[in-house]
Amino acid sequence: MDYTAYSHNTSFGDSNVNCNNVTNNHNKIANVNKVIADENPEIMQWLSPLDPRGRHQDVRMDRFDCVGSWLLETKEFREWRSNECGVDKAVLFCHGDPGVGKTYLR
Amino acid sequence: MVDDLLDGPCEEDIAIAMFYCDFHNQQKQTTANIIGAILKQLLVRGGVLEDVRSAFRKEKAEVGGRGLRLPDMVRMLKQAIAALPQVFICIDALDECIPKHLLELLGLLKDILQESPRMRIFFTGRPQMEAEITKHFITGVIVSISPKTHDIERYLEKKLEMDAEPYGMPDDLRRRILKVIPQISSGM
Repeated sequence: MDYTAYSHNTSFGDSNVNCNNVTNNHNKIANVNKVIADENPEIMQWLSPLDPRGRHQDVRMDRFDCVGSWLLETKEFREWRSNECGVDKAVLFCHGDPGVGKTYLR
Repeated sequence: MVDDLLDGPCEEDIAIAMFYCDFHNQQKQTTANIIGAILKQLLVRGGVLEDVRSAFRKEKAEVGGRGLRLPDMVRMLKQAIAALPQVFICIDALDECIPKHLLELLGLLKDILQESPRMRIFFTGRPQMEAEITKHFITGVIVSISPKTHDIERYLEKKLEMDAEPYGMPDDLRRRILKVIPQISSGM
């Protein structure tokens, strides 16, 4: 559960379209995620035995960059992401039948 | 999507907690374990972490010490979220969660959201879950996901590029794969 390493991997991940932003945000994320997992693996295990970040890495490995990005361009996603609409648009639910690619949206 | 949030331009610091519900791991994916998994992704030095640490030590000191109680976990999660500039919680495949736990989880997230105006929640799930979502989050935004022809074409192209024995496939077959599969799939 090396969260710090995870932050690095993610921010230098496979969609570095805006390189400047990526570097900037990498620093920001690293700041926010001053995560302490390294020094407290036992506490983290006690909080929950589940490790969603490990699962996320698996999904990232299986996903193709070019696929599933249309959602990011939708009005619904942008409004949800922008935070401008306050609590009213705080929840976004994407539904689809099994196998349509919900997990691999990007 | 999670990676896009992390990579995208943003003015504020953001923190993301994600969770993938999994049919094969349902028994372990209790409400407490899910909330705990979200909480541990949002812990930063100081603050709530110290509360977690002291609760852990206290439990360990007792014979038969157990995990954190769910109400305590929720309280700590609210504090952790309040201490961060902006938090995104992404939960995949709601329908793969045991219904009893799912209802409890949605109720708790609703409660947390009411106290966390800068929080955003992203869910995915089968269409049948829409009723539960709108029941808990009246103003929730719903988007329908269907396979896009363009996505299928790109996926097939990539897969064909990765073919370990490309010479074994006649050009004609390759062309037919790229034409027929997207046509059929997008009619799903």
